[in-house]
Amino acid sequence: MSLHRITDLAGLHRHLHAAMQLEHATIPPYLTALYSIMPGTNTEAFDIIRAVAVEEMLHLTLVGNLLNAVGGTPDLTVHGFVASYPAMLPDGEEDFAVDCQRFSPEAISTFLRIERPADLDHGEKGGRTITRKKARGTVKAGHVGPETEEHFFSIGEFYKAIEDGLDRLHADMGEALFCGNPASQIGPEYYYSGGGGLIAVTDLASAKAALDLIAEQGEGVTDTIFDEDGEIAHYYRFQQLLLGRYYRAGDARDKPTGGPVPVDWKAVYPIKTNARLDDFTKGSDLREAALEFNSTYAIFLARLTCAFQGAPEEFIPAVGDMFHIKELFHRLMRQSIRGTEGLNGAPTFEIDRLKDDPE
Amino acid sequence: MTPEQTQADLLPGFLAISSVLTGFSEHALRGTGQTELYLATACEMVGDDSMRMMLGAFSACDIGDDTEAMGRHMRLCILSHARFGPLARNLIKLWYIGTWHCMPRDWHEAFGGNPADRDHIPSPTSYTEGLLWPAIGANPPGAKPFGYGMWANPPRVTRA
Amino acid sequence: MNGTEPFKIPPEAAFATTYDVAIVGSGVSGALIAKTLGALGLKVLVVEAGPGEDVTIGEYTKSVERFYSAVSKDNNAPYAHSRNAPMPRDYDAVKLRDSQPNDRGYLVQNGPFEIDSTYSRVLGGTTRHWEAKALRMLPDDFRMQSAFGRGRDWPVTYDALAPDYGRAERELGVSGNVEDQRYGGLTFEDGYVYPMKRMPPSFLDKTMAKDLDGFEVKVGEQTFALNVRSTPQARNGIPNPAYDGGKGFTPTGAVSIHQAEMGGRCQGNTNCVPICPVQAKYDARRTLLAAMDTGNVHLLARTVAFRVEVDGTTGRVTGITCKTYADKDAPGHVTGMLQARIFVLAANAVENARLMLASDLHGSSKLMGRNLMDHAYLLTWGLMPQVVGTGRGPLCTSGIEDIRTGNYRQHHAAVRFSIHNDGWGWATGAPYTDLAELVDARNLTGAALRRGLIDRVGRQLLLDCMIEVLPEETNRISVDPRHLDQLGNPRPVVSFHIPDYTLETAAFSRRLTRQIYQRLGAEDHTRYDPLAPGWVSHDGEGFTLRGGNHWAGTHIMGTEARTSVVDATQKSWDHGNLYLAGAGSMPSIGTANTTLTLAALCLRTADAIAAELSPGLATASVSTHCQEIPA
Repeated sequence: MSLHRITDLAGLHRHLHAAMQLEHATIPPYLTALYSIMPGTNTEAFDIIRAVAVEEMLHLTLVGNLLNAVGGTPDLTVHGFVASYPAMLPDGEEDFAVDCQRFSPEAISTFLRIERPADLDHGEKGGRTITRKKARGTVKAGHVGPETEEHFFSIGEFYKAIEDGLDRLHADMGEALFCGNPASQIGPEYYYSGGGGLIAVTDLASAKAALDLIAEQGEGVTDTIFDEDGEIAHYYRFQQLLLGRYYRAGDARDKPTGGPVPVDWKAVYPIKTNARLDDFTKGSDLREAALEFNSTYAIFLARLTCAFQGAPEEFIPAVGDMFHIKELFHRLMRQSIRGTEGLNGAPTFEIDRLKDDPE
Repeated sequence: MTPEQTQADLLPGFLAISSVLTGFSEHALRGTGQTELYLATACEMVGDDSMRMMLGAFSACDIGDDTEAMGRHMRLCILSHARFGPLARNLIKLWYIGTWHCMPRDWHEAFGGNPADRDHIPSPTSYTEGLLWPAIGANPPGAKPFGYGMWANPPRVTRA
Repeated sequence: MNGTEPFKIPPEAAFATTYDVAIVGSGVSGALIAKTLGALGLKVLVVEAGPGEDVTIGEYTKSVERFYSAVSKDNNAPYAHSRNAPMPRDYDAVKLRDSQPNDRGYLVQNGPFEIDSTYSRVLGGTTRHWEAKALRMLPDDFRMQSAFGRGRDWPVTYDALAPDYGRAERELGVSGNVEDQRYGGLTFEDGYVYPMKRMPPSFLDKTMAKDLDGFEVKVGEQTFALNVRSTPQARNGIPNPAYDGGKGFTPTGAVSIHQAEMGGRCQGNTNCVPICPVQAKYDARRTLLAAMDTGNVHLLARTVAFRVEVDGTTGRVTGITCKTYADKDAPGHVTGMLQARIFVLAANAVENARLMLASDLHGSSKLMGRNLMDHAYLLTWGLMPQVVGTGRGPLCTSGIEDIRTGNYRQHHAAVRFSIHNDGWGWATGAPYTDLAELVDARNLTGAALRRGLIDRVGRQLLLDCMIEVLPEETNRISVDPRHLDQLGNPRPVVSFHIPDYTLETAAFSRRLTRQIYQRLGAEDHTRYDPLAPGWVSHDGEGFTLRGGNHWAGTHIMGTEARTSVVDATQKSWDHGNLYLAGAGSMPSIGTANTTLTLAALCLRTADAIAAELSPGLATASVSTHCQEIPA
């Protein structure tokens, strides 16, 4: 697999667009698993998945800031931005697909693959686990174009390539590289959590700080369970669900010794994996609700785009949309699909279809 | 029939009358995830027979989409009925705030039901899924927030 | 500390250790003192009467679900009630008849006023259910006697306490706007900003402000212009980058002994009282867990202080006898003695006084338990002319502060007003009572019911009038051996009446709020039930007054042992190694809830203790009063 070096600004923009897509690609599967948990059950699991999903939103926004800073135009509304699930996230000889599926051991195993630290890959052998050859950057990215379908050994390396490109361009252009309007940056006032906040990107130092934060939070370059701020990497966070215990400082990999993480795999809505609009009878309430979900999600993406394109204050109502989206998730997941053996509905995330095939 | 079978049998009628009583579609009611629990709760407290009879009276005439005729039918055959009226009003409250209220003592004396009837919330989710709050565009206190600062916006719901 | 798990210290180990400082109570007072001292390397034990749960997300969620499942959603509904450490419930307050005390709840109410205030005996204390308003008291509040010839002066001025207010605002994480707090003589250090930006005013606030701002009101001899102003609150908002000279502020989120990432910004759950489901609101567990993180603080829960033991010659405390229970409800306990160099009672104004009185320690001033204060709340409510979306946002985002002080205080009490985003609930039990009325009396169903609810609930406005109560010796906590709890501890007996000074302002507030509703074009639905507890009458007009859960004054602070219980550092005049911390020390409560002020006081107390135990370590922000009796 060859790595196309970033040699010009356009190349950097393409990479950052792809990075936004790959950050976003994790959100539908994480939210689907998260909201399939029946309210009031699996509280530890809910908190763990929620924390990761929220950080993916943070990463998405950090990349958006970076793209803005170097004069690009983040756009989450372009055709193909939202992946089609099952989304193939190619992985060496054996590909694995990311599904939008209920909270289950299978879902968590997929999440572990998504978040697997780079250095673990080298040690993994055999058929069950897979050597990671390509990054999520290779999610089919309609607007990026086939010439940018580069393949990285890990997410970490994907971001490393961006950082190297940034360094090279900066060496050529100096701070002129950061030609974006600083007023477009979505700053720390708009988001924070235990895991760190937003960083306004205005120069090389802040650009690197943003990339470091993404990497540290579990995109696979660190080989430790906790980062220097004491925050646990995504991979280990998820692993706690399969191991049934919290990690605590000083623990060895795979051997958490903290408090219990009880999991009830049955307290979950029996949703259809990778539900599609076509699974729901035309004209049915369920189909209408799925369409409403998709249009609400499209509004959310449009609002984020608006926030990135000069109106950062729109980030706050965009977060408000996320709360509304949660309610729509639940409403769908509580409806049985006619003609199935006890399967319930779920969001389909067929956002492009709203435009292609309005009903 | 087991209680589960009885209730599965009553479910369509229960949803239909609940929709008329609450003003929410059956889809919206199902979206709360509480339908089976509420039917089971009501049946446990008033007895399957009262529920079955009320649903029978409800579906006795085929009214279709005529809301005015339905309103009259509800008033004449359900809401003013000594046995069904208190139960119907209880169902409205159950759907709206998630609380099952103990039926009046004279109701139990006349129509039986469960001596252990009591005010209670069938599950914590029953409260958070209360329809009162979406009906007025608010969130049930302690759940389903709209997000930071959203309270500064004009209300989403100003008319039904 | 010997590798012991700080949350699982066995009682026998705790009782066998002599700590530097033993603190009774894990609420905001105790937690702040523990954190400050633990950070300085002092060995601290915190004793909590309640079950000591809620240190993980899972446990916290259980409290939230307990609230969801509670048919009666009173302010202690979310919390595990323990028979061995019972707590007051507001519904225990009933109308007293024929001067018979009401002993149906934990508090024994002697009257004549029936007070429905409560507190929480759980980890973090009453900050678990507080609303988190974080207003400062006004300079005048500290000099009531010299300025107005009423009440008592503090031995501390506002200016002296101001830096500690700043520290407290950092510890609690306050969102607010300094510009909105410029009234009534309030001053802030040049360039000061709150740690976080103000909570955005609600749509209701903004709608009211349009017609209300600039309304001129004559009170006594002075004219005030009323304005809707944002209320500072200890709730996570947007950090202010200008805070701390441009260093900014990092909010603390949810706390857990495991990982916890929730608890960022307020999401508008409209449930500050009794529990914020996402921990955006400050509660003292935040400080307590930070105290534990110092490695120098132990927590001993399920342990109720029973008696303060005193050396008859020196007056010094030799230990505090405690009862530790295993099962929260079943009878049975072990007894042990807390041992420490310095003891701090931080169990709230009622429990501190109860414990001292149960130990026969009335104080040389005989003021222990006396001067009990709480705010008297007059509630008024109406319907706005249009739907304003009631039921969204934090309980209150704005208030009317302009008449919090003035020369009128020579004659009647101070008052401030909060605009409630949560509708009439506090006054009428809305929206439940509205639903019952629409369904049972107005026979509404279906779409008509939905329309009726929007019109009835979506327009609701509740204005609360928070009225000052001054210290009076006859308002008091006492104990009576006839009233014991399951552990054999005397229960608090409350004797309380509402002074005319306060009633006069209740009448004034009703008149003023009528005018406000008239100005807004709102329907005034306020009415008071003579049969309700809290009914009072004044000049032929009747009102219902409600408690504010702001118990204060019972170990009042002053300049000398003869007329007060503690000194300016909250140290007991009579017992050289004992501090009584919290709102019980306050000589006045003005028109601010007590938490921010008592937090500021407790930070000073921590400094004083540190100076005493390890001179040189303490940050010398307080000139400590030294009256050490040689042991």
